[in-house]
Amino acid sequence: MLHALSAEWRREWVQLRRYPTELLSELAVIVLVFYGLFLGGSYMAGGAILGGRLSDIIVGYALWTLSMMSVGTMGWTISNEAQNGTLEQVFLSPYGAALILLLRNMANVVIGLLFTILTLFSVMAITGHYLFISPWDIVPGLLMIASATGLGYLVASVTILMKRSQQLLNLLQFILLFLIMAPTASLGGPWRWLAIMAPFSPVVALLRSMMTQGAALLGTGNWLLWSVVNAVLWLLIGLLVFAWAQKKARRRGNLSHY
Amino acid sequence: MLLEVGGLVKRYKTKDRQIVEAVRGIRFTLSAGAILAFLGPNGAGKTTTIKMIAGLVRPDDGDVTVEGHSLSGRSGQALRHLGAVLEGSRNLYWRLTPLENFEYWGGIRGLSRKTARDRGRELMREFGLEDKIGSTVQQLSRGMQQQVAICAALIHSPSLLLLDEPTLGLDLDASDRIQDYVLRLAHERGVGILLTTHQMEVAQTLADRISIIQNGVLTLEGLKEDVLARFTGSSYVFELAEAPSAEARLLADDLGAAWTGECEFRAVLDRPTDVYEIMRALEPCAVVRVMRETADLATVFREHTRKPVPVENIREVTA
Ligand SMILES: Nc1ncnc2c1ncn2[C@@H]1O[C@H](COP(=O)(O)OP(=O)(O)OP(=O)(O)O)[C@@H](O)[C@H]1O
Ligand SMILES: [Mg+2]
Repeated sequence: MLHALSAEWRREWVQLRRYPTELLSELAVIVLVFYGLFLGGSYMAGGAILGGRLSDIIVGYALWTLSMMSVGTMGWTISNEAQNGTLEQVFLSPYGAALILLLRNMANVVIGLLFTILTLFSVMAITGHYLFISPWDIVPGLLMIASATGLGYLVASVTILMKRSQQLLNLLQFILLFLIMAPTASLGGPWRWLAIMAPFSPVVALLRSMMTQGAALLGTGNWLLWSVVNAVLWLLIGLLVFAWAQKKARRRGNLSHY
Repeated sequence: MLLEVGGLVKRYKTKDRQIVEAVRGIRFTLSAGAILAFLGPNGAGKTTTIKMIAGLVRPDDGDVTVEGHSLSGRSGQALRHLGAVLEGSRNLYWRLTPLENFEYWGGIRGLSRKTARDRGRELMREFGLEDKIGSTVQQLSRGMQQQVAICAALIHSPSLLLLDEPTLGLDLDASDRIQDYVLRLAHERGVGILLTTHQMEVAQTLADRISIIQNGVLTLEGLKEDVLARFTGSSYVFELAEAPSAEARLLADDLGAAWTGECEFRAVLDRPTDVYEIMRALEPCAVVRVMRETADLATVFREHTRKPVPVENIREVTA
């Protein structure tokens, strides 16, 4: 399985190196956004209290893009490989397509993360503003990406059956954005279940209390626990639905059709 | 036994809610080192059968085992022993080089980078393509791409290779290379090969066994020699003095003529005296030569598939 992971990893690198314009345009977007955030942040804050707020915004933005990447990568891979006539070869892997897609997603996230960190440091060097980003942010970050991966399997399932996922992806982004913006954490009564079970909700609550209230990772009430439960839940749902969708596509015999 | 295919059945539901019975109860086996040519008209169910063997299409009934491992349920073990080049697909990443493709396809089959590279180089050398290992696949000719696809399917040294129309659309040179390689692969390395093709010369050169599938049913199965012997002694070549009229040509067609030129055709006759019937049909065009010959696979195939699929055969399987 490690060989499969390194194969995915190498494949991504090779493509990045071979098509540097795509790489550069992606990098340019990240640099511009971060630079804009820095400038805007220092303008609003008068250059003085560029502390917590700005780093929160940047961490939030980075997490959002990485999560959206995890939601979209697997579905995109499936439609792309079906068009290029390689999807069936992927399904011939003895590891199974679900694992191969997961590995590809991981390779993508790691590369995205490297870019983000790289850009962040360059922008900090350029602007001379140095931010402190807590290493503990990694834990909610990983949980968020795990939930996103579960949603990614759902998108992949739709793609394998309907052969397109773009509309679903657009819709999903709106819903997720809403879930992130909405203060679900303060909901009470039966709505509390929504705050715990809806994708991203508990981990956003966790991040919020860590960031705005400076709570320690373990000092956020039950939000850490609920975030873990939520991530596992969505991953499981995603995996189950994907297994079902695969079976259905094999029965229809249209795995490779596009 | 390397491959056991037992009673495969596949019914597709089409978009307009009709049911297509693509495969109706196919069973056969393939042993190591043997080449089985799977022949049949368009839509007979060849690709469907191959995809069921590769686990890409789920059969409604029946089972496939590769090296004793079943493909239904947990198919990982069976897939380790199997490689496939699928019909009409690229089977490769065109933006990568052959070597990078081998690293990738080897990797997701559990090979280390080094093993995949070494094996890939060796395979490319056997095809005489070692100098192409660093160009991207899209820069290669169609024939080379297909050869690289075969290399990629063999990267994990499978004992069973499935080839769906491997020489389709290739020039003679590429086709010959692939055929030479396939023969060596089976007879020297002991790989079992199942291939489909519409090119009868290819099947005749390669196959140890021949299967003909029509309407989802195997209607003929046997050793190549036996299959060819079926019509030997009743296959004739006719040569005419001039090109016959269109009507005469049609009449001869009804009697089983398969034209190999303006003035030449083959026919399989039940009785030698049927020669007269053909001559009469062609009048006034003169027949200048009639010769009895051993049938080639094209003749056997044409003759065999001219008859409709025996109905009782279909009933037996679908009942
Ligand atoms: N995914 C599918 N959905 C519905 N019908 C299908 C599907 N795939 C194949 N069929 C139908 O099943 C039958 C068998 O098709 P198959 O592709 O197996 O034939 P084949 O022998 O490979 O033909 P060819 O020589 O043209 O490649 C055909 O009638 C085809 O239209
Ligand atoms: Mg076919």
